[in-house]
Amino acid sequence: MPRLVAEAVTKTYGLNGTRLRAVDEVSFQVERGEFVSIIGHSGSGKTTFLSMLGGLSRPTSGRVLFDGTDVYGLGGDALSRYRCDSVGFVFQFASLLPALTAWENVLLPAGFRESRLSVDEAEAKALELLALVGLRDRADAYPSQLSGGQQRRVAIARAFMNDPPLLLADEPTGDLDEETEAEVMKVFRTMNERSGTTFVLVTHDTELARQAGRRMRMHRGSMREV
Amino acid sequence: MAKELTPFAHAVRNLRRRPSRAAILVVSIGLLVAVFVFALSFVRRVDSSIRRTSERLGADLLVVPTGSRGAAEDVLLDHRVKTFYMDRSIVERVKAIPGIERVTTQTYLATITGACCDVPESIVVAFDPATDFVVRPWLGGKGARTLGKGEAFVGSESALNITLGMTQVDGILFGNVFKMVGVLEKTGTGLDTAIFIDEEGLAGILRGGKANVRPGTISVIFAKVAQGFDPVRVAGEIEDSIIEADAVARRDVGQGMMRALGDISRMFLVTFTLAALLAALLAWAVFSGIANERGREVGLMRAMGARESHVMKLFALEVLIIGALGSAFGILAGTALSLGLARGFAILRNVSTDLGAIERIGVGAAGLAVGIAVCMVGAVAPIRRTGRIEPLAVLKGD
Repeated sequence: MPRLVAEAVTKTYGLNGTRLRAVDEVSFQVERGEFVSIIGHSGSGKTTFLSMLGGLSRPTSGRVLFDGTDVYGLGGDALSRYRCDSVGFVFQFASLLPALTAWENVLLPAGFRESRLSVDEAEAKALELLALVGLRDRADAYPSQLSGGQQRRVAIARAFMNDPPLLLADEPTGDLDEETEAEVMKVFRTMNERSGTTFVLVTHDTELARQAGRRMRMHRGSMREV
Repeated sequence: MAKELTPFAHAVRNLRRRPSRAAILVVSIGLLVAVFVFALSFVRRVDSSIRRTSERLGADLLVVPTGSRGAAEDVLLDHRVKTFYMDRSIVERVKAIPGIERVTTQTYLATITGACCDVPESIVVAFDPATDFVVRPWLGGKGARTLGKGEAFVGSESALNITLGMTQVDGILFGNVFKMVGVLEKTGTGLDTAIFIDEEGLAGILRGGKANVRPGTISVIFAKVAQGFDPVRVAGEIEDSIIEADAVARRDVGQGMMRALGDISRMFLVTFTLAALLAALLAWAVFSGIANERGREVGLMRAMGARESHVMKLFALEVLIIGALGSAFGILAGTALSLGLARGFAILRNVSTDLGAIERIGVGAAGLAVGIAVCMVGAVAPIRRTGRIEPLAVLKGD
């Protein structure tokens, strides 16, 4: 059974009295442990599609299946559980909570799990993940004390906190320098190979997209394999 | 490394982001609770003083001269120096009323400093040790002690007691020298400031002619009602049968003051309700602002898997912290006000008792509950709104 399936997924928005089809009957599937990239210009519908895969935005029509379960057939709390236990999300915008330190930001998703790690285990894991993205020594820094690139790396570490089987990344290296971008991609590949995490990476960078095992292109809401 | 990230620690951090905003809400809730604690302390103090007084008098009924009920309550509840008299023959007529089991009498004399006496203005109570059941319980361990010739007891707050600081001293009352041989226990009644002599002492004073009291008169009859009789009905019987006397059942003692207290309570209630409404509106405005500001953060938490309950719990904790801090501040301020301003209110200046520790704790607990409740009521709509924020909000960017 594929890890993730999108069946004729459509998303339309009302705009100035007309309906805009941001995603138009896209069907797509990802196997367990696969690393897929989705490339496309701004406004092509990549982020909207990714948010539907991640349980953040209900499709206007069509279904999203995770391990055979209809994600949007789940109730409110079960959908939250899906986002918490099954999906790690790296957003394209700064997404750290300003009142919490880097270490606490990484730790945060662990507090939403029903089957929690012990406090000591969770804290140790958060530090380990910060070390993985090269920020162990900045654990106590607040987001305002970190550069944009550092904040992005903390957000990446946070996405792995609950050991999600699926990681969705929306332009994860958008504001990183080349060296850091390479490090981040190395982390992704490591997690993909070591833990078997399934990756769906959205980017407009063709070089970055090439590093994935399979590439898809989105254009005006439609998708095809490259 | 920072301490464990608990929801409480997270809530505290969030509040610290805008300390001045949090402080304004804390102070507002604090002022509301201060008003509440002050008002409740005021009302409870007067109310409990009246109740304790009626309980400590030990009689089921008071019989006073017609039209002197208010004056009697002024003496018993309010430490006022007032006198009123009726003919002693009324005692026998009261005894004859069905249901009356025991009676004892007291006669009140008012001292005038410098003119007759060497004590500050106060009430001198002449009681009959043979029939007394009112003063004897106030003797405590000295219960067996009776007054000898030329001896007197002083109330626990008597000016004489306070001025001289000890007993076994002499005082001149209406030209007669009395030795103060004991201090009565605190009773919580207006008689705590009085001086007590027996009927023999009164007779000596009357012989001297310096007191403006006619022989054969008394001020008040205290009566106990036999089991099975309703004191209120017996009081009615007395008033119907003896036109020269008013009778007051114990539970009706202080009704005039209680009615005035009821009016004051209602005034406090209106003021407090308006203030509570204002505080709740402020809490609503502040938490609406917070909810708007943090929409993206909440969306982010929801995207990471936070349930509606996680988000609402976090905001509710912030409300709880503000409510609890404000209430604590308000309880302290309200208690300080109720103690500090007590002398500024005539009704409290003369009230015999202060609130006990348990009553103070009760008032404080009520203040805490009210402060938190008002804060919660104001914040409930914004909290519910934040709980419903969709995770998609996080994708909308800065």
